[in-house]
Amino acid sequence: MLHRLPVSPGRIAAVLLPVLLLLALEQAVDSGAVRRALIPAPSDVWGELVYILQGGHLWAPLGKTLYLLAVAYGCASVLAIGLGLLMGRSRAVYNLFEPLVEVIRPLPKPALLPPLILFLGIGDTMKMTVVGLAVFFPVLINTVQGVRGVDPVLVETARTFGYSGGRIVSRVVLPAALPFIFTGLRIALGLGLILVVVAEMLAGTGGIGFLIVDMQRTFQVTSMYAWLVILAVLGFLLNLGFERLEARLMFWSRQSEGRA
Amino acid sequence: MVMQSTSDDTLPPTRPADAARGRVPALGARVGQSRWTGLLLVLALLGLWELSARFWVDSANWPPFSRVVMALFEEGTGRELFFVFAASLRLMLTGFVIGAGLGIALGVAIGLNRFLREMLSPMVELLRPLPVPGLVPPLILLLGIDAAMKGTVVAFAVLFPVLINTAQGVRAVEPTLLDTARTFRHGRARSILAVILPASLPYIFSGLRISLALALIVTVVAEMIAGGTGIGYYLMTMQYAMRSAEMYAAVVLLAVTGYALNFIIVSVERRVLRWYFAQQD
Repeated sequence: MLHRLPVSPGRIAAVLLPVLLLLALEQAVDSGAVRRALIPAPSDVWGELVYILQGGHLWAPLGKTLYLLAVAYGCASVLAIGLGLLMGRSRAVYNLFEPLVEVIRPLPKPALLPPLILFLGIGDTMKMTVVGLAVFFPVLINTVQGVRGVDPVLVETARTFGYSGGRIVSRVVLPAALPFIFTGLRIALGLGLILVVVAEMLAGTGGIGFLIVDMQRTFQVTSMYAWLVILAVLGFLLNLGFERLEARLMFWSRQSEGRA
Repeated sequence: MVMQSTSDDTLPPTRPADAARGRVPALGARVGQSRWTGLLLVLALLGLWELSARFWVDSANWPPFSRVVMALFEEGTGRELFFVFAASLRLMLTGFVIGAGLGIALGVAIGLNRFLREMLSPMVELLRPLPVPGLVPPLILLLGIDAAMKGTVVAFAVLFPVLINTAQGVRAVEPTLLDTARTFRHGRARSILAVILPASLPYIFSGLRISLALALIVTVVAEMIAGGTGIGYYLMTMQYAMRSAEMYAAVVLLAVTGYALNFIIVSVERRVLRWYFAQQD
């Protein structure tokens, strides 16, 4: 099997580059060229990570962040897909809601944090609301696009076979629009994660975003970087998991389009 | 590897063509039929806001819509908002230009060179899903709370969608075009400028369009977390000060800004890519 090893100069460099960068940073910190108070040595951050993982300190903040994200993402996605199906299938519903959507969509959702804090306080409800709002629009818009792009021949065929309206939606329209819906869900996942972190930073009492800001304010720089690494890994794994799921469910479709 | 697959932030450029042909009508596209019911709904909701604030809800957090609009045109608030928005937008555009420039340059390099692609794509894939706000606290320590930090955060956020779309666009350039350039004995630099960049423009614009929306979000976020200046900071200050009319005025203005930015980039895209949309018909 030796001849099939996927080794190429680029792949070797891909492994060497981060190693060299980390070694250089370590050296720079040790020699005092970089102030340890601002940038800790990679080995110290690693030690802190091991401490966090072994001490079981990871689970409460991670659980908090994931809980907020999951509830908001789930609820907003279901609502958005539902409304998207209605808007995509019915011209009247589309005409009713389209201007409202166009008015709210371009607003950067973090701007809603201050008003939401006034109304809902700084608790979980507020955070879930703002994350849900950020998730809702990409999913809605892509669902509408997907539904409206469904080949009319498919729908007519189903009608010829005597499918009822509900069955046409569930058996024909929804599957055909699924690649678009998944694109919306993928964009929304990234935005949702951004919003959870921001909400926790501004109004947090736990969660990874809160910890990063808290460590910065108390100058626990090594901890701050450790939690930043955890956040990066979380983002990476969520993204990877989503792509795997999408690839598995969408194996029949090469189409993947959408708008943010 | 990553660059082959359709990635997170990539919009294959069939989309605008389809929308232009009316096969997949985009939201906001003129649909021929009147949308007066929808406009009526927006007006009704604004009316409900006005009436509820005047008659039913007695709260400093809920000023009537008319007062919010008036705040926009008041001498003091209007001027203040103008300067706040100008500062934020300048910062955002600086970060956007730097991030997009780097993204296009790196994207072309990665798209053309296999060694660079294999070396850098794992790192790109690791950094890309990082929620950008997480970078604000460490950058505050390194760069302070001013423009340098905020611009860096914006540039970082803009970099990845542009880079990935550019790399994909470069790899999607038809080999015939490259061969033609070679036949005409174009040098490498001239091939890139005259053939590869124009051919990948539809992809690059997808990246730019996504990034511009993201840049505005990230600007507001950085200003909220770090404070100091800008729209995000203004919003937080008005919330603390319980000056809700000014706070909502900033939110409304921000929605208008977001809409305008998207309108501008889509118009530029339509104009620059006219050949591309024409080709698709």
